[in-house]
Amino acid sequence: MEQDVEQDAAEFAARARAFLDAHAEPAPDRGAFTWGEGDDRMAYFSADPPDVDLAKVKQARAWQRIRHENGFGWITGPAQYGGRGLTPVHDLIYDTVESEYDVPDTGMISVVGLGMIGPTILAHAQQSMRDRWLPAMYRGDAIACQLFSEPGAGSDLASVTTRAVREGDGWSITGQKVWTSVAQHSQIGLALARTNPDAPKHRGITAFLVPMDAPGVDIRPLRQMTGGADFNEVFLTDVHVPDENRLGEVDGGWTVALTTLMNERATVGSEGAGPVGAALSPDRLAGLLRATGTIGDGALRARLAELLVDAMATGHLNARALRKLRGGVAPGPEMSVSKLMYGQNLTKAAHLITDVLGLRAVADTGQWGTYAWSEMLLATPALRILGGTEEIMKNILAERVLGLPKEPGIDTRSPFRELRRSGAEASK
Amino acid sequence: MSAANGAANAAAEDTELDELRAALRDFLAAKSSEDAVRKLMEVEPRYDPAVWTQLAEQLRLPALAIPERFGGDGFGLVELGVAMEEAGRVLLCSPFFATVALGAQALLASGDEEACSRYLPDIAAGRATSTFAVTEHEGSWDTGRMNTHATFEGGSWSLTGEKLFVVDGTTADLLLVVAQTEAGPSLFVVDRSAEGEAVTAEPMQAIDGTRALARVLFRSTPATIVGPEGSAAAVVERVIDTASVALAAEQAGGARRCLEMSAGYARERYQFGRPIGSFQAVKHKCADMLVQVELAEAAAREAARLADESSPEFPVAAATAHACCSRAYMFAAMENIQVHGGIGFTWEHPAHLYFRRAKSSQLLFGGPAVYLERVLERLHV
Repeated sequence: MEQDVEQDAAEFAARARAFLDAHAEPAPDRGAFTWGEGDDRMAYFSADPPDVDLAKVKQARAWQRIRHENGFGWITGPAQYGGRGLTPVHDLIYDTVESEYDVPDTGMISVVGLGMIGPTILAHAQQSMRDRWLPAMYRGDAIACQLFSEPGAGSDLASVTTRAVREGDGWSITGQKVWTSVAQHSQIGLALARTNPDAPKHRGITAFLVPMDAPGVDIRPLRQMTGGADFNEVFLTDVHVPDENRLGEVDGGWTVALTTLMNERATVGSEGAGPVGAALSPDRLAGLLRATGTIGDGALRARLAELLVDAMATGHLNARALRKLRGGVAPGPEMSVSKLMYGQNLTKAAHLITDVLGLRAVADTGQWGTYAWSEMLLATPALRILGGTEEIMKNILAERVLGLPKEPGIDTRSPFRELRRSGAEASK
Repeated sequence: MSAANGAANAAAEDTELDELRAALRDFLAAKSSEDAVRKLMEVEPRYDPAVWTQLAEQLRLPALAIPERFGGDGFGLVELGVAMEEAGRVLLCSPFFATVALGAQALLASGDEEACSRYLPDIAAGRATSTFAVTEHEGSWDTGRMNTHATFEGGSWSLTGEKLFVVDGTTADLLLVVAQTEAGPSLFVVDRSAEGEAVTAEPMQAIDGTRALARVLFRSTPATIVGPEGSAAAVVERVIDTASVALAAEQAGGARRCLEMSAGYARERYQFGRPIGSFQAVKHKCADMLVQVELAEAAAREAARLADESSPEFPVAAATAHACCSRAYMFAAMENIQVHGGIGFTWEHPAHLYFRRAKSSQLLFGGPAVYLERVLERLHV
């Protein structure tokens, strides 16, 4: 049987390679890093102008369609929705092979939509919605976003105040969502709304699929501290959706949300390539110390070494989780630890580098690879917040892994309308 | 693409490792209880010879990482790592670390087949213990800073000088010693059973009673050269790589134990009418420990795996594991006392035993200044 598994994997990899050979060029050999050569941009958030952004979305959709037409669009998905019905191991094999090719970045489709919303629709949506959206999403025709966070519901997501009330044979939704990635490109959003304020907070929420072009949906770019606008605010005003758009039970939306969030932690924890890999590469960091004549500075060397130890140990943790996954074992606490370390490591790297650069990180002299780092520096606070703040991640580790008791509170037992909330008096 | 193949192998290996771990944990629970450790750390020798015999004969621990052609069982650092993690959890007082990770590794690193054939079978069988005598008054592993010297007269070598901080230096049967010759630092072996009278060793007063350190005096002590004259610098480098990965596993095991003690106490200790683990300040302290422990285990186990695969990435991974696990263990041992509060500062509580072991381990191969530079050096920075 092991032989069969091995042979199957080899054959699948060969088919993936044949497909990629026919449709893409091999990735350019990046070779050894040389200080002063190549692209020195070091941005975590893209902040592209709208026309560039749109062109990238178009490319991503086109590439996703090609993948799909060749059977690599949804490797683990059920065949009835256009999936291939294979295992996460096949998914990993494909990703590994594809990483050797120069293909468009499909992050704006895959991270939230295919990575988080797709599995949620599959698990909880009604049949008509699965039939309608799953094939469209994995074919690249539809992009999905997550309408979860609100100004008053960040870490405490279960305190959403967007309301959904019955209206005819459907629902009318009103409220404000925030930190919504790719909303401006999305056809569909997964929204959490309060349907029963008299129930405790986790038991009065319902999940809905909201067409992003429905009357009453207003998407506004949200400018973040880097200066760019990678997220949106989404205002929902009397947005009507039919009952078939509801996921799970009425007041059962928290279960739906947990499916989405579990997939989010898995996605966020696995980040490591792109600007992150480059920022933490020993060659680049050492090159910087050499170029600035600080390579002999004992204090800076110690900081560099500490940073590299953390980055490499985090890499080892990820590598071991990946091997576990390939062996069919779900990763344990590694993903939450790696998510925490990811934010910490990049924060330390950005501060070490800008400290080394001094004023050249504060104002642009035009010199290669210097002021470019300011963009990474300004992005780092977000890395300790998005996908779960450090405090929340630590609560999760302590409670779920170490079995420490939850903080006693009344918020999970009392009717939601009686809870004190920021910016709103508890209403009687 | 061998992902699936690798996965199947990995799963089979994991099962074997789990069995080794379970067998050791049971054995050590019975033979290396806290009471036993507390008794041994006050006496000479600093270990129970009967337990060591059982570890060697029943569990074949010293044979684990010695090649089969020298009488060992031919496993690698991965298996040795499992044993070291378990030993570290219970602060095992034993010649295990010095014999296997230092002495035997020095012989293997020397490439001297004759010396290996002569000594390793006895080590593998548990008939001989060994250690590696390198450091002197400054505690440095830099072979350029050693005063102990060897002279060649009448067809044989003899050693003169003083080694300090020698792990198990009062008890080891075979002392692998680095001494200067005209050709530079060279490796020698002193067989205490034959030359016992020409070696004086005395225990050093130390913060960590569970790891015996000794001052060893050589006065024209007859010795046998191991490997080519002048080749010891490379041997020391290689032994530090291997031994620091074994030590890293021991540190990861100790750190994991500290975390378990803290989490257990935080669940059970009530103040202000609630378990202290329900306060975020305590909860986050425990989560911080968990992060360090997870990183330490990953770094130690991954370095061991790379060693067994003879990967070119091993030297970097070894230096990383040493730095990562040294910090993680010290952090976990410190925070463990804080989570326990006053009770954690008493002699009766085991927390201080782990604190002591964590510090003595962190500094064994030179401490942060040395190991952080080693990371950079291995990365050619």
